[in-house]
Amino acid sequence: MQATAGAARHLPKLSSCNEIRHMRSPGFALLVASLACARPCDAATASRADTVVVFTAASLAVPMRAALDSFARQTGAVVQQENGASLELARRITELGRVPDVIALADQEVFPQLLVPRAASWYVRFARNRMVVAFTGRSRGAAQITADDWHHVLSRPDVRVGRSDPRLAPVGYRTLLLYRLAEGHYRVPGLASRLEARTPPALMRANASELVALLQAGELDYIVDYESLARANRLRFVILPPAIDLGDPARARDYARASVRVARRTDTTTYRGAPIAYAATVPRGAPHPSAGQRFLRYLLSPAGQAVLRAHAVDALRVPELVGDSVPSALHAMHR
Amino acid sequence: MIAVEALRSRAGAFVLRDVTFSLPAGAWGIVLGSAGSGKTTLLETIAGVRRAESGRVLLRGADVTRVPPERRGVGIVYQHALLFPHLTVEENVRYGADEPDYAVALARRLGAGQLLTRGVRELSGGERQMVALARALAPRPDILLLDEPLAAVDPRGRTRLRRELRALQRELSLTVLHVTHDFGEAGTLGDLAILLDEGRMVQAAAPETLFRRPASAAAAEFLGAENVFAGSATPLAPGSDDEAGTMQFHAGSLTLVGVGETGAVAHAVIRGEDVVLARERGGTTSARNVLDGVVVEVVAHGALARVTLEVEGLPLVASVTAGSVSELGLLPGSRAVATIKATAVHLC
Amino acid sequence: MAATARGRGAHRIAAAGVVTGAVLLLALLALPIVVLLIRGGIPGLGQLGADHELRAALWLTAQTATIATLLTVLLGTPLAYLLARARMPAGALVGALLDLPLLIPHPVAGMALLLAFGRASPAGAALAQLGLAVVGSRTGIVLAMLFVAAPLYVSAAREAIARVDERYESVARTLGDSPMRAAWRVTRPLAGRGLLAAAVVMWARAISEFGAIVILTYNPKVASVLSYDRFTGEGLEAALPVAAVLVILALVPLLVLRSLRAGTALGEPAR
Repeated sequence: MQATAGAARHLPKLSSCNEIRHMRSPGFALLVASLACARPCDAATASRADTVVVFTAASLAVPMRAALDSFARQTGAVVQQENGASLELARRITELGRVPDVIALADQEVFPQLLVPRAASWYVRFARNRMVVAFTGRSRGAAQITADDWHHVLSRPDVRVGRSDPRLAPVGYRTLLLYRLAEGHYRVPGLASRLEARTPPALMRANASELVALLQAGELDYIVDYESLARANRLRFVILPPAIDLGDPARARDYARASVRVARRTDTTTYRGAPIAYAATVPRGAPHPSAGQRFLRYLLSPAGQAVLRAHAVDALRVPELVGDSVPSALHAMHR
Repeated sequence: MIAVEALRSRAGAFVLRDVTFSLPAGAWGIVLGSAGSGKTTLLETIAGVRRAESGRVLLRGADVTRVPPERRGVGIVYQHALLFPHLTVEENVRYGADEPDYAVALARRLGAGQLLTRGVRELSGGERQMVALARALAPRPDILLLDEPLAAVDPRGRTRLRRELRALQRELSLTVLHVTHDFGEAGTLGDLAILLDEGRMVQAAAPETLFRRPASAAAAEFLGAENVFAGSATPLAPGSDDEAGTMQFHAGSLTLVGVGETGAVAHAVIRGEDVVLARERGGTTSARNVLDGVVVEVVAHGALARVTLEVEGLPLVASVTAGSVSELGLLPGSRAVATIKATAVHLC
Repeated sequence: MAATARGRGAHRIAAAGVVTGAVLLLALLALPIVVLLIRGGIPGLGQLGADHELRAALWLTAQTATIATLLTVLLGTPLAYLLARARMPAGALVGALLDLPLLIPHPVAGMALLLAFGRASPAGAALAQLGLAVVGSRTGIVLAMLFVAAPLYVSAAREAIARVDERYESVARTLGDSPMRAAWRVTRPLAGRGLLAAAVVMWARAISEFGAIVILTYNPKVASVLSYDRFTGEGLEAALPVAAVLVILALVPLLVLRSLRAGTALGEPAR
């Protein structure tokens, strides 16, 4: 949670709060300024210990907590973690003007979609992720399901399958991409649309954490989601063929063969299959950018990677930087 | 008839206990007690809206202790009428009645005929009680409980209400239990007087017994009247039509001139302090009652003394100073003359 | 003379303090709503014609909130009556239990409902027999609204009933009414104003609920879920109109109901 102690002190100084540049109308900006300046807007590093505020996608919550705690132990930094759905976190930055020092999401897609270039100019891919089918001991067909016939089990009419809303969460349209890739892979015509239909609106959710809750409560038999989420919640899951699970960077071209059109109220977007990666950045207007960079540097270092791997996150040995004006502190780490 | 045996009832932290009395059918009982003595609790227990913890309530000879109020056939009139605020006068009166015409006729008889369509907020205190009375009697109960019904009514309204109550009691042969803290306000002493003090029944007896021999000093102080005679009244001048005026009262061979309302006068009440004593008759006096008697007993209480005379075979108590007793030489057996103003003889 | 002037001065300061406090609170409450209406009101109302998703969400919200309120009035009024007439400590105990749902954070309430009434629970299995599901359905929405708002109704209704002098019922009983009949004919009309106010509070609370509902039923969407959805998916500009229109449309029945309550007070203890 953010520190709100400084609110009264920092109300009027619009010019010193970078985030206000992104706001549209001045009147609203004034209202938001009082929210945004809840933390000290002073970007200069203090002689005292760092404060690092991190927005984390829900499926990364547990590994990130571990990494933050480890970082805090080593440097004495004060760390604050806020979890949420990827899109919602991004909106907090772009719409509400609440900017963290580091934002880390389980899907790199959100960065080019929403954050770059206005809220961030670069981001770094630091771990892999892939789609799995997660379930519990109570799920129907749990005893028989395997990597080869999962689509048969999910097609059964008595089985309840949940997935995320593709309009709201990357994992939602990635599920649809998975279905399309599966149709080609298993050579079952019509499989994608059949699987898609197996989740009626009632069983769709805005974010993955809700799906997990429903699965654990016995309302759902299967959910399609990231491996990181399944591991984080100690769910049983089926590992899918790499050709379809969007997890292997080497198969980027194969994945790109599948595409989905997602129609929203105001626009329609076409997404192509691409390997899923965790990504993070220190956004523009972060209250403690140097501290944020320090933490990110730690996360990307072998020590940080070890912590992530200990929590079932497949960290990349060499992180991949995307974008320009990457801070020098992180230069040494990228390819 | 209403009978109560070893009745014990609770209202919050207050406990009413040891109440036992029996009121015959068609009789008028009066319950006396200061505020907080348990009078309302007693009425509510008899009506059934309050459960008795122990003891019995018998109505018409049947044990109704476990019978809910809606089946007891008892009417109740509260001090503040408690008319239903969301209903008109007519709706109030007809509330529990099987015969709406009878209910309306009752209301008219009690002078509420013009008020039927009105809301209850617009009524005066007296009008409210009339309506409450009509409402209580509309279901034709044969038992009527009155919880200080005259207390919130102005003096003129009181006279009228008292008259109607007595008339209705006679016509409908009602057994009435009337609760009051002031028998003067009640205007009648009824056939049976029950005295309550701090939740206990102190005494239940015929009114003149109660007043003449109160069970405790506190009771005596509450009652405040040492002399009660049972008898009847006749108008002073034959054919005089005074509603509230001077009358002659006869109790045995004793004749008193007193003041009260015409109607069923059954008792004459005289406070001891209103009796003036002398050794012999003096000159002409404005007092209408000059009685010869013999001192029977003298009891001294500090500066005061209580002198009991026998007058026409009936006891008369006078409250005088001890000094006067010695000055006049009042001793048992000596003759004395008692003088009482007519206004000090309350007929009720 | 000086003492009186001082006294008056102190009194004036105190009065000014009271007024200032009141104005501050009112401003605190009104400002966000005014901002919301300014930013979202016009676009929202304009959208109503074309935006059938918005219309559907508003209609669903109104429906479910009304059903939840009616159910609560039906079941909760007798409960409120019993609590109003109950002796201590039973009354206080049950009253405290009823306040518990108010304490639970709303998403947690949603999870609790899921565990208690989801398909995997005995209650949920029974509901399934009746063809009712709690997840992804109107039933779930009504259930969530009921859980978070019914305690408000019962509390307020209990107060309204307690304010009616018990002796009215006693009188009605001596006039031949059974306890239920007396409560219906006398206490109910006299407490009516307070009961209506309690129902209004409940309805308003149900309309605004989000956290508990979204756990159980994301689709079909009530207005609160839709506004959150639009915020996440499209941004603030898309979310504000939904919220603004909801506020505007909810104002109408609220104002109507509040004006019905105006009128002379009934049922206060007899003079």
